[in-house]
This record gives sequence, structure tokens and C-alpha cells, in this order.
Amino acid sequence: MTGDLYVQSVIDQVPPGLPVRDQIAMDLRSHIAERLDHNQSIDEVVQQLGDPLRLAESYLAAVPLRSAPFSNRLAAKVIDVAIFIAGALAMACALWLLLPDPVKIFGAMASLFAGIFGFVIYTVVAESREGATVGKRLMGLRVVRESGARISLGQSFVRQLPFFGQFFWIDAGFALFTDHRQRAFELLTKTRTIAVLLCAGIVAPALMITAWTT
Amino acid sequence: MGTDPERSARTGIERELKRGSLELIVLHLLAPREAYGYEIVSKLTARTNGALGVTDGTLYPVLYRLERAGLVAVRWETPERGVPRKYYRLTPAGREELARLTHEWNTFARAMSNLLASEEDA
Repeated sequence: MTGDLYVQSVIDQVPPGLPVRDQIAMDLRSHIAERLDHNQSIDEVVQQLGDPLRLAESYLAAVPLRSAPFSNRLAAKVIDVAIFIAGALAMACALWLLLPDPVKIFGAMASLFAGIFGFVIYTVVAESREGATVGKRLMGLRVVRESGARISLGQSFVRQLPFFGQFFWIDAGFALFTDHRQRAFELLTKTRTIAVLLCAGIVAPALMITAWTT
Repeated sequence: MGTDPERSARTGIERELKRGSLELIVLHLLAPREAYGYEIVSKLTARTNGALGVTDGTLYPVLYRLERAGLVAVRWETPERGVPRKYYRLTPAGREELARLTHEWNTFARAMSNLLASEEDA
């Protein structure tokens, strides 16, 4: 492993959009270079620095995390759902028009189901890889571990389980009462949604009002 | 020879003690003059004969926390040959924090010594 690869593996654990990424990377490069300058091997240096996730979490412990306002989270979900409903409806309409009479209803239904599953799969992958869906990105939100590090694919999957059950609103309702505005399944997976853009608090209500009036 | 749980409890106490005192240690080592990361680790290892040795992975996040808290200031020095080096020095707030932590540590250490030395409890 090279120094740059190690730094990258630490930075990969810091959610995109957090401004501290560059500073942590610069710090680590300098510290690694110091050690190499004192005739240590890169293996010794990496051993001294330890597990990249642990190191990222130690750095992130110094960064205060701001819980996402409930309105921003709601607006982000509305944006995401709207995008997928629009896509699924477009596909359903196309299939309705293109397919012959006996099967067109099945084609349209299939596209709606594909839209629902596509939405969940997209959310799971986007939140684990980028820390946010399109809606969350627009609202300046990121999904992180309670330590501030990037979430894993497994955590991302479990976060979405309430979507399949009848308890989605109960799960979401926890966000109104918990300390860090966490949903029940966020508490379970030790993850949380944070605000990374200060202006997002103004953007969220504005977008919701615009959506409501049009 | 202790059993595994005993050994693990001992290392747990050592780790907690180190973690709790690491900020004091770093502030103390930076008190006389500025230093860079590797220098701080080397000083710490040398002055304590390795008893309080910490890994870089433990020290650097502490330096970062102290920097963000405004207790240490940094400056980058780029030598003609070699890599840019980050130097840390105490700020006035850092000196105040050092004095406060030192006082707290001494009070705690004295209290523990008195407790452990008392014959009644032994």
C-alpha cells in the first residue's frame, strides 16, 4: 500500500460534502511524509495509523454534526419520490401505448413495481456510496454513521426496511422526538442524517411552498 | 499470571487513562516551543521510556481536535528539499487549558495517592 492509497482509504470513510475532507487528507499526507522522512517504511507508518475507518472516526469526532431539520428531510423524500413516480409513470404510459391490449395492464403494473423497487435500491446504493440521494443532495443533507463516517451498504439497506412495512410513518415519527432527530431504524443502525449546507433551512420550506402552489 | 479477562481489563484501564490524559500530554509537550507531529510522538516516547507511547492514529486526531478548538495554532513550513511540515504551537487559550488540566490532574493524582496509601482500607 502507498501513502496516497492509505490517505484515500481514510478519506473514503468521510462522507462527501463535508468540508473537512481536504484538511484531513492534507494533514495525513504531511504526517505520513514526516515518518517516511525519518526512514520508516510505509508499512510501519500504516500500522502506526491503524484502521482507516477508526482513524476517520477519530478525526470526525472533532467535527460537530448538525442534525437535519425535519422539514428538509421531508422535502428531500418528496423530491426523491416525485422523481421515481414521474419515471415510473412515464414508463407505464409508454408500455400502455406500445403493448397489445391483453398485456398492456401487466406492463403498466410491472413498471410501477419496478419504480418502487428501483427507488429503494437507488436509495440504498446512493446513501452508502455518496451519503445522499438526489433529494438529500439538493437539500444539503448527508447520511452518516453516528460517528460521522460514511455508512456501509448493510446499514443503508436496513435503514430502508420500514419502506417495505406498514410502519414507515411510525419509524419516521421518531425523528420528531429523538435527540439527534433520528428515525427508529436510524437508531437501530446507528446512523443519522445531518445538514451540511447552512442555507438548506431556507431552501426546504421554499421548495415545499413552490411544490404546494404549482 | 492473569487470565484473559483480567489482562483485558488491565489494558482497558491503561487505554482509558491514556485517552483521558492525552490532551494534557500534548499541550504539555507543546508548552516550551512549537513542534511537528513526529517530534511530539518521539518526545513522548523518549521522556516516558515508551510507557506512555501512543500510535500516530491516536495522536493526530487529538492534534486536529486541539486545532479546531483553538487550543493550538498551526503553521506550514515548506523546506527547500522534502515535504511541507505542519508545526503546532500553543495559543493563549491552549496555555489556559493546560493550566486548568494540570491543576485537575494534580488534584486527582493527590487524591488517588492518599486513597491508595491509607492503611484503613488496605
